[in-house]
Amino acid sequence: MDPSIRDGAGRDGLRQARRMSNWTAAALIAGTGVAAVALAHQASVAAPAAATGNAAAGAAPAAGNTAGASTQAGSGPQVTHSVATTTASGVTVITTTRTVNGKTVVTRVRHAPATADD
Amino acid sequence: MAAGARGLARGSAGGLADGAAGTVGRAGAVPWRRVATGDDAVAVAERGALGTSARVVVWPPGNLGLACAAADDVLAGLDRQASRFRPDSELSWLHAAGGGTFLLSDGLAEAVGVALAAARWTGGLTDPTVGDALVSLGYDRDFAAIGEDGGIAAATGGDGTPPGAAVAAPGWQLVRLDGPLLRIPPGIRLDLGATAKGLGSDRAVRAALAAAGGQGGVLISLGGDIAVGGTPPQDGWPVTVAEEPGQAGQLVRLAAGAVATSSVTVRRWRRGGAEVHHIVDPWTGRPADGPWRTATVAAATCADANAASTAAIVAGVAAEDWLATAGLPARLTSHDGRVRGLNGWPGPEAGTWAPVPTAAGSHVYAAGPAVRPGTRAPGGGR
Repeated sequence: MDPSIRDGAGRDGLRQARRMSNWTAAALIAGTGVAAVALAHQASVAAPAAATGNAAAGAAPAAGNTAGASTQAGSGPQVTHSVATTTASGVTVITTTRTVNGKTVVTRVRHAPATADD
Repeated sequence: MAAGARGLARGSAGGLADGAAGTVGRAGAVPWRRVATGDDAVAVAERGALGTSARVVVWPPGNLGLACAAADDVLAGLDRQASRFRPDSELSWLHAAGGGTFLLSDGLAEAVGVALAAARWTGGLTDPTVGDALVSLGYDRDFAAIGEDGGIAAATGGDGTPPGAAVAAPGWQLVRLDGPLLRIPPGIRLDLGATAKGLGSDRAVRAALAAAGGQGGVLISLGGDIAVGGTPPQDGWPVTVAEEPGQAGQLVRLAAGAVATSSVTVRRWRRGGAEVHHIVDPWTGRPADGPWRTATVAAATCADANAASTAAIVAGVAAEDWLATAGLPARLTSHDGRVRGLNGWPGPEAGTWAPVPTAAGSHVYAAGPAVRPGTRAPGGGR
């Protein structure tokens, strides 16, 4: 075979290989970018789910989520005042004052709040 | 539960029209009173329910109406199913039938199942078969009715009624539940008090979240037994831990799960000259008389916390060991006022708004709270 032809074919092959290599590199870069975006999206979706506190909502917490191991920080609003009290159930103390024979009698009455629905 | 909110007048409270004088609620339903806490980021409402008080706290505030409506449905359902004091409840119907095999509504089946699971988990420290023991002690009606004539000294039995003989619980093992099918021997009266309020809080949280489409966060308190769900506020829900309503107490934050308190300082009355209370030792049928007067326990669900706090009072000197085995953060108060934090419960050195550790998984729900929705008509089927 004519060496010049052989050299020409070699140059063409080299050019083609370079072109393919460039395309491959571009594809790899694009693929990596897509994967990174997908992972970032999944992470951003998972974060609030982890913070929701699934226990009271139904599912048992993940294994290993033991007492003292964690406290979940919420992504909700800042709340600075007590919103509820855990206490012995439903018994209130009511203080009434009345006058009997000229003397003030203070009575502390404990009872559950009167309810209209039970 | 979202279905329960359909057809409501649209209003500023997320589905319910605001009522008069700071109330919110469905027309014809018991209104919820709005409660100002000092934070505009959350909305709070309260009303009486099940012989105690119920509180709903939500963010965003616009979800309050939907959450209250969802809680209404849960509370009404639980009362129809499991009230020992309501003659037309499914449980009362079951007691009146006097033993046998019964097909329960889904709601009562779950309530009995949770009570039996709690009894198994606590080794019998809680036992739903204490019904007769409580009746024997005079706790045979809604506590509001016992106390309404004038406090402890004049409550039921203060007129010299002789005390009933102590009635030990027959034992939870005698009660068999297979799905909705309940087998109960004659003469056993169930009391679901050790778990029912917690169950109600768990159900209400789930229902309120569903009604809001999973948006935001919710806290439900039923007689001081608190469950939270959804996304908590930053650093968790601020909660006060106290022995009685209105008392100053420890300030903590609850990001997930639940916290419940049991105490012998309340629901007390006199019987035959002796002062008694509502937490009964199943083995003796008498009021528990251990060293702890109040127990607050954090757990994965409110039914767990409710059962564990009752169990701790009944366990007495063994409470600390039992709670350690259960791995639950707890705060115990002795009769002389000493406070003891256990298993990661924040001590005074932790400062204001200390976070309560997240507790381990549920012991009383087979796989989380049952997801069977709805209930059948009171009375169930036999």
